[in-house]
Amino acid sequence: MNTIRSLMDRVLGATICVLMGVMVVNVIWQVFTRFIIGHPSSFTEEAARFMMIWVGLLGAAYVCGSKSHLALDLITGRLTGARKRISEIFIQFSALVFSVGVLIIGGGRLVWIQLQLGQQSAALQLKLGYVYLALPVAGGFIALYSLFALIEALRSGTDAESQAEGRDRS
Amino acid sequence: MNEAIILVMVFAVLLFAGVPIAFAIGLAAVAALAVTLDPVVAATVVSQRMATGLDSFALLAIPFFILSGQLMNRGGIARRLIDLAKVIVGRLPGGLAYVNVLACMLFGSISGSAVAATAAIGGFMSPLMRKEGYDREFSASVNISSSVTGLLIPPSNIMVVFSLASGGVSIAALFIAGYLPGLLLGLALMVVAGVIARRRNYPVGDKVGLTQSLRVFGDAVPSLFLLVVVMGGIIMGWFTPTEASAIAVLYTFVLSVIIYREIKWSELPRLLTDSAATTAIVLILVGTSMGMSWVMSSANIPQTISETLLALTDNRYALLLIITLILLVVGTFMDMTPAVLIFTPIFLPVAISMGMDPIHFGIMMIFNLCIGLCTPPVGTALFVGCGVGGTTIARIWRPLLPFYAAMFGVLLLVVFWPPLSLALPRLLGF
Repeated sequence: MNTIRSLMDRVLGATICVLMGVMVVNVIWQVFTRFIIGHPSSFTEEAARFMMIWVGLLGAAYVCGSKSHLALDLITGRLTGARKRISEIFIQFSALVFSVGVLIIGGGRLVWIQLQLGQQSAALQLKLGYVYLALPVAGGFIALYSLFALIEALRSGTDAESQAEGRDRS
Repeated sequence: MNEAIILVMVFAVLLFAGVPIAFAIGLAAVAALAVTLDPVVAATVVSQRMATGLDSFALLAIPFFILSGQLMNRGGIARRLIDLAKVIVGRLPGGLAYVNVLACMLFGSISGSAVAATAAIGGFMSPLMRKEGYDREFSASVNISSSVTGLLIPPSNIMVVFSLASGGVSIAALFIAGYLPGLLLGLALMVVAGVIARRRNYPVGDKVGLTQSLRVFGDAVPSLFLLVVVMGGIIMGWFTPTEASAIAVLYTFVLSVIIYREIKWSELPRLLTDSAATTAIVLILVGTSMGMSWVMSSANIPQTISETLLALTDNRYALLLIITLILLVVGTFMDMTPAVLIFTPIFLPVAISMGMDPIHFGIMMIFNLCIGLCTPPVGTALFVGCGVGGTTIARIWRPLLPFYAAMFGVLLLVVFWPPLSLALPRLLGF
């Protein structure tokens, strides 16, 4: 389980790193073409927007791996022992429902509908379905992360409280 | 109406249970839509709103400003800005307190992050101030309260988020509108710090010679020039905020990697990944919030709240005060980005129906939530500031009170005196 998780961390980390770098070069190129050559390259704006969708969603999955999404720990931060474990189970279960229900099922259906319609982007002639594929892909990663955390929380009895606290969100 | 109840209930339960706010928003939106729609269709609608919400060129300014901020943070820029601030205000009684405020304003403006400003400036200033006999809690209070000025002084990511949540208020206009409130806040905090420092006879800084001053100024110019390039370009209309943010990345990259060599090439992948992760935390919130605001408007929630508030009183000032107090309370426990994304679609229509300018409303809202960053129970600037200042929330809340008072005073000015926010953008033709 931990091997798969660290593999996921590395794949996602490398992907968003590359996307972020390409995105920057892309927009700098757009500014360059607009100022120096006189007419902006039409495909760079679209490419940057599509890459941002992927960075945002895959990045959100990556952040799940380190449990550093913004959350309110006003109440949960004070819990200890069995209550802490129950709260962690509830949180991870909710993340699982979100990722499977909204991102995989909802997003997957969106991709399917878009591919059926065959709608293409204006400049790159890219099928929008492929752009929206970021939703179910990120959903898959988030689902795995929360599933692992859920299994971990369920397995850890009251004797493994310290471990659960060690992985507390900051 | 059922949709509204379900939306609020599901969101509140998940929020207080500690579920990531972005997921709580998304689940609440689907649950509310599922009242009238098939659940699978509801999920499709929300995920579509997420994707189309993120599909925005204006939003690209966020990852780029985050990245340029990260490039700046690693460098010795905090040190240089502090040296510059010492030359400018260090000779006043209680000089280091002024230095702290000014350095936070400069750094916050460049890095665009209150937390980064607290950490970077506080990290340098707190040992320095302790050595000169300043009280720990006082130093940390100055540091924490002034760290938020950088969110008002442009460029500022939270304004990009507001622009999106409001459905397209000009980012450039918001940036320009932030100058006066941000500077006034810095000034007010300096006055408070100065009065306290004078009463406690805190020391005056060393005199700095002319050649030394010039050298310090020369060292800080390349970093400050970034603000000139970015804001100058936006104000003159040479480039859009997104283009400006990409230029900021290029500029900070050349400065810190190639010229100062403070960041090694081998560190860049880590830096890119970190920036992408920070970006994603904001973007996923933006995405699911777009889903929720769609559900809210289809259930007429903003309209209902607007009518309820207007039925309560039709006094413009009373209404503004009510909204301000609600936002202050929200700010004490909720982080800025989710608060802006959730409450803009709710309160902006009310503000507009009262004849308020959306730019003015944006500045008022952001100012409100800035105060929340410095207050318990949840305030990221407060937490970080206590950390680097070597103190605790229990010990610092009392020394912070006069600073809260100054912030609240300026907030009231911002709320009730629109020209403070609107004069500059109007002057520049927005």
